[in-house]
Amino acid sequence: MNRALRRVSLACLVMFVLLLVNVNWLQGFDAASLASEPGNGRTFSEQFQFQRGSIVTADQKVIAESRLNKNLGEYQRHYPVGPVYAPITGYDSLFSATGIEQAENKQLSGSDPALAVHNLIDLVTGKPKKGATVQLTINSAAQEAAFSALQAQGRQAGVVALNPQTGAVLALASYPTFDPNQLATLNGSKLVRNDKRLLRDPNQPLLNRALNDTFPPGSTFKIVTSSAAMTDGLSRRGITQDTPVYAPTKLKLPGVTEPLINFDGEACDNGSNPTGTGKVPLIFAFTVSCNTVFGNLGLQLGGAKLKQQATLYGMNNPRLAIPLPVTQSNFPLYEDRAQAAGAAIGQESDTVTPLQEAMLSAAVANKGTLMKPYMVDKVTAPDLTPLSTTQPTVLSHPVSPTVAGELTQMMITVTQSPQGTAHATADVPGIVIAAKTGTAQTGINNSGLDDAVFTCFAPAANPQIAVGVVVRGGGLGADASAPIAVKIIQAYLAAVGK
Amino acid sequence: MLIFVVGVVLFAYANVGLGLNGKIPAGMFEYGIAFAVLVGGAHLAVRWLAPWADPLLLPLAALLNGLGIVMIYRLQQSGRAGNTGGVISTMTTSTTLYQVLWSALGLGAFVAVLAFIRQPRTLQRYTYTLGAVGLALFAIPALLPASMSEINGAKVWILLGGFEIQPGEFAKLALAVFFAGYLVAKRDVLALAGRRVLGIDLPRARDLGPVLIAWGVSLLVLVFESDIGTSALFFGMFVVMLYIATQRTSWLLIGFLLFVFGAVVASRLFSHVGERFTIWLHPFDHVHTTAFQLVQGLYGLGFGGILGRGLGQGQPYYTPLVQSDLIITAFGEELGLTGLMALLIIYGLIVQRGLRAAIAVRDPFSKLLAGGLAFVIALQVFVIVGGTTRLIPLTGITTPFLSQGGSSLVASWMLIAILMRISDTARRPAPQPIQDEGMTQVVRAG
Repeated sequence: MNRALRRVSLACLVMFVLLLVNVNWLQGFDAASLASEPGNGRTFSEQFQFQRGSIVTADQKVIAESRLNKNLGEYQRHYPVGPVYAPITGYDSLFSATGIEQAENKQLSGSDPALAVHNLIDLVTGKPKKGATVQLTINSAAQEAAFSALQAQGRQAGVVALNPQTGAVLALASYPTFDPNQLATLNGSKLVRNDKRLLRDPNQPLLNRALNDTFPPGSTFKIVTSSAAMTDGLSRRGITQDTPVYAPTKLKLPGVTEPLINFDGEACDNGSNPTGTGKVPLIFAFTVSCNTVFGNLGLQLGGAKLKQQATLYGMNNPRLAIPLPVTQSNFPLYEDRAQAAGAAIGQESDTVTPLQEAMLSAAVANKGTLMKPYMVDKVTAPDLTPLSTTQPTVLSHPVSPTVAGELTQMMITVTQSPQGTAHATADVPGIVIAAKTGTAQTGINNSGLDDAVFTCFAPAANPQIAVGVVVRGGGLGADASAPIAVKIIQAYLAAVGK
Repeated sequence: MLIFVVGVVLFAYANVGLGLNGKIPAGMFEYGIAFAVLVGGAHLAVRWLAPWADPLLLPLAALLNGLGIVMIYRLQQSGRAGNTGGVISTMTTSTTLYQVLWSALGLGAFVAVLAFIRQPRTLQRYTYTLGAVGLALFAIPALLPASMSEINGAKVWILLGGFEIQPGEFAKLALAVFFAGYLVAKRDVLALAGRRVLGIDLPRARDLGPVLIAWGVSLLVLVFESDIGTSALFFGMFVVMLYIATQRTSWLLIGFLLFVFGAVVASRLFSHVGERFTIWLHPFDHVHTTAFQLVQGLYGLGFGGILGRGLGQGQPYYTPLVQSDLIITAFGEELGLTGLMALLIIYGLIVQRGLRAAIAVRDPFSKLLAGGLAFVIALQVFVIVGGTTRLIPLTGITTPFLSQGGSSLVASWMLIAILMRISDTARRPAPQPIQDEGMTQVVRAG
């Protein structure tokens, strides 16, 4: 019988080895994926057991913090000025998180490996675990101006302000928005109710329009078309802001019966082209935003060159994260020349985010170098030792400093020349703003309300801030969007004392 | 070694208190004394009644029992100060006290078994009596009305005046004795008669009787009591004892095929059996319904990770019935992979010491009984731990010594007592009269 007993004991050994291997697999290798399983109550409830780190603006204003709820004995997330910063902070609910709360969760929750030593020291010294503080690049004056300007005009809109030299996001607002405090409640059924209400709202308050909604760029795309034309040369002598360009009243497009026309079918007339058969300087065409001129440039450049230039400005990038994920701004390859002409004035299927609009101006303002946008300035441990600081990085060089200088001149005339499209709305005493307006036709046969687009930077001589604004259905870019940008610029320059 | 055990258990107990609310728990001293007195008493009884018995079995079992009490106390407290968590159903404020009393009763039964059964062969005389008792214990819950026998859908209890007894736990022991006695008597017939087909010795048709009866009984248990775990345990024990007795692989093969056949048929015929397979294969598709318990257990294990959350600092209260069937996930959550592996190794050691006693003992009845009992511990741990960790389909049986519940605890202690009695017999030196005379002569000469 001993032989059989030895075999049985071998079988028992095998059973125990199987159990040991299995628990090793579960607790060693599978633990992380189990933890991230949706509906794992432990993972989410654990995070309310300790104080999550705060989120603060560049000027040290607290925009998200954890407060101890004495009744529940749990920490509740609190957003002091909730709706203003909602598209930035996002929310941290019982079930999920968005925005910075999600992107910087490891730092805020203290689970980042960089915080392991701090956590160990806290464990040994018996101090309660606390998450790291995330300091953003956001300027509270600019942000609050952006939010109240969007709120005042009342339509769906997104706006982003950048520091052109670094790419730091100074303001980022979306409208309509929501109050993250409603989703930070520790009351599960209340949370579900609020969440459902927000999800059902046809205005999509949870959508971050500054980063995740796209619009046709309209005439603001003429910055890209001009860049391509001036960089490429197009003619042997090269093309500058003063080069005369063909400016018909109607531009015949190959293979299309309907010609391309200017706004309201006007002639592109600087006083010497009343019949619409001659030429005007490029800078004049830009100032009054002649469609036919830039459509013609598009015909000559072709889809490939336009796409290359658009990509250099940051479009067609599916992986941009600042660290919030940014929806791709699209400029596809137009094989058809007529389509390329339409795309050159920001129609066809071109789409941009408000961030992309800000990036157009920021690149011009920074002498042709586009910096990568970012929102997190630095992360500090609970004991105030810095853990990481974001270094500005170059994303691309869309144009040469010379071309950027000429583009700056062209954008200045948009607000400073009496004929400029934004002269009435963005010629502000004391500040020279360089800008481009856009009025994008939407809907079938342009039946929808036009989207108002505006991109600018200021002060033109020493750029501190670049702004991109899109107001859905706002009509003329100059009317609906320009005043919003102006308010942000004034608030920011006043706040930083320049 | 017992002092070490008492120390570990008290340390764990203090840890629970510190983890839950930063204080040493109340009654630490009293519980410590009580536990030390209990295991100390058991140790003295062993020195007196079975001095040659394996010295490792008692400390190992006592350690498991002590840690089980600590975990039940911890689960009774539910959540941390400030985060009370959910109250675990079927646990009351006196659950821990009951578990301590049951432990005392279990150790009493342990001493009683050692005292009354001085020779393992004594049991052989009661082969058929115990067989009948075992079957009766198995059958009682099936025959009783549901109000007196059903908890959480499993009809395996006798509920009398607030007491819950799970007769199957004791039936397991009685039937192990019966199988050992019966197989020792019949093993030659079972092993030798029969034909050889395809290199496998097939038994005669009429010798298939006992294995078919055992199979039938385990299926009946399955059908009438909805207790898949016990039925698998019972059948597995029988087949392995049959194999040890006859040394014929064909029995293992037949047993295995019958089991697979039974399992497949049962899963088709009975929805609750089929459901177990579905849950096992696709737990995350049924997170909020049938697989809730299993998935919560898995989350707990994952949450524990390598080192665990620390006693009192996890959230085991998310898992339904964490104090009984799924207590191993609570250990996994709070003591981590490290603690869980230590527990499994303790079980492995108990099984190994039991099998060593079986190999060492000369008498075939004791050999068979010890082999069967050691295997049944291994199988029980495999079924419940494998079930909670999704190695095999989850079936609700107790984790020996750890789970809440008196019957299992008392039966497990009795099982350890039988193993120790057998190991005492195996290791007792044979009397050596000639040498004794020599000694006497030397003394006389001096």
